[in-house]
Amino acid sequence: MRPEDGYRLLVHSVSDYGIFMLDPTGHILSWNIGAERIKGYREEEILGQHFSVFYPAEDIAAGVPERMLRQAIDDGHLEAEGWRVRKDGTRFWANIVITALFDGTGKLRGFGKVTRDMTERRAAEEALRESEERFRLLVHGVLDYGIFMLDPSGRIISWNDGAERIKGYREDEIIGQHFSVFYPPEDIAADKPGRELTQAVADGRLEDEGWRVRKDGTRFWANVVITALFDETGELRGFGKVTRDMTEHRAAEQALIERRRLLNHLVEAQELERRRIAWDVHDDSIQAMVAVGMRLQLLADRVPDENQPLVLQLEDSVRTSVARLRNLVVHLRPTAIDQHGLIAALDGYLRDVVAGWELETSLSADLASEPPLPVAITIFRICQEALTNVRKHARATRVDVTLHSKDSGTLVRISDDGVGFPDPVPENPYQQFGLLEMRERAETAGGWWAATTSETGSTVQFWLPSVSIVDEEPT
Amino acid sequence: MSEHLRVLVADDDPLIRMALSEVLEAEADLHVVAIAEDAEQAADLAAVHTPDVAVLDVRMPCGGGTRAAREIRIRSPRTQLLAFSAYDDSGAAEELKRLGVREYLIKGITNKEIVAAVRRAGAAVRA
Repeated sequence: MRPEDGYRLLVHSVSDYGIFMLDPTGHILSWNIGAERIKGYREEEILGQHFSVFYPAEDIAAGVPERMLRQAIDDGHLEAEGWRVRKDGTRFWANIVITALFDGTGKLRGFGKVTRDMTERRAAEEALRESEERFRLLVHGVLDYGIFMLDPSGRIISWNDGAERIKGYREDEIIGQHFSVFYPPEDIAADKPGRELTQAVADGRLEDEGWRVRKDGTRFWANVVITALFDETGELRGFGKVTRDMTEHRAAEQALIERRRLLNHLVEAQELERRRIAWDVHDDSIQAMVAVGMRLQLLADRVPDENQPLVLQLEDSVRTSVARLRNLVVHLRPTAIDQHGLIAALDGYLRDVVAGWELETSLSADLASEPPLPVAITIFRICQEALTNVRKHARATRVDVTLHSKDSGTLVRISDDGVGFPDPVPENPYQQFGLLEMRERAETAGGWWAATTSETGSTVQFWLPSVSIVDEEPT
Repeated sequence: MSEHLRVLVADDDPLIRMALSEVLEAEADLHVVAIAEDAEQAADLAAVHTPDVAVLDVRMPCGGGTRAAREIRIRSPRTQLLAFSAYDDSGAAEELKRLGVREYLIKGITNKEIVAAVRRAGAAVRA
């Protein structure tokens, strides 16, 4: 095979490019598979036709095909992009190269034309541009976040509505300024803006919360994320900065902390007072009643026989009163919790109080260490409330209490085999109150509380950390 | 040796002191020889009277029943000790047992039970 034949075969079979020859007047002299694929004409249909057949009517009317040939002659070569028409009348976006072909004497022998169908690429580019535009509009219109760009030195190069809302600057006022205008003087003195950019470059990203300054000089509590933006060569192109005004959030958080602190103090004061009353009853009232009982027993032996039953009856009433006062003391403040810890106190409560409600009870505990006293008291109180609920509502025959050490705290479960409690119970605000109170106590202590109920029984579960979160909050 | 059992009563509550003394005195074979208001007085009076039996409140000033028991053991070794407490305090009970307290009585038990416990303790002295 001669080299010329080889080239012809090669060109003919290329399918990604339409490659064909025109005579000096623009009539088609050759055709290849790529041209047929792109334009839809078979070779025998198109040979001899003028190449303007590929152009849309408006281009033909404007003399575009002739102008292109002339320019190819003048410059030797022409590259262009534009709409072309297939045989079936549909359009495609074409990239074309026309090369003028001269012989050795400088005479024009015709043109070589290479056409590529760029429709898909153009569509992809268009889609990208549209998506970028949509994204730009989205970012611009976001009101809850200030989103803007900084150049590598920290000057502001874009701005959005959220940034204007949060910081008070209009776009035309702020573009070109250094972003340190948003920082309070003490931060500027400490070069915080500069350090934040340096850290964003080092780590790719930086998140910070702190005070920032609005245009009117007022401060707001901001959550800020700075992202360093690098191009594909790794060069720093600038920073993206997202700012959120957390002032209300922070105020709400602080209010919650304050509320918990107050609640905690309230609970502490209540416990202290209950404890005082419990010891008073224990050391004073009960002793006095016991002494009265002892002397009534003496009296019974000394009075005439007919009066003896009366005195013994009186003595029996005193004995009952003592038992009631002892229950009151356990309810107010199980003295055992101060001396022997949580488990002993719970055990005593189940044995002395709950067993009297005709409930079978069990207690199983697996604690790595005794919780601190305030936590132990909270656990005891929630158990007390849960057990009272079982007594009042569950119609259960047994209740099981388990305690485990878990996640630096204590997990407590109180399960009964009763009928469950309806939830919610609008007609019974006291029961509702009991559930709410348990949850509130657990949450105030930094833990959680949950209740599940079914026809075969209910379980109250709660977890309290061994360290009170309220005490750890800075004042 | 007297035929009476000689008893010391120690309690910081005056009503209990009085009632307990009356209950014991009502028995022909028992005699209350001393009444103390706190642990220190109990130890001092025990040293002076060397009673057969001391009935000690667990919670009282100047160290409570445990201090009283510890000192009486030294200062009047033959005195038998009973604890008399307003609550079921198993922790204190353990310690008191180690200190030689024979029985732990909960306030509210009947007079008969108190008297019986004192007599059991007294029998140990005489044995």
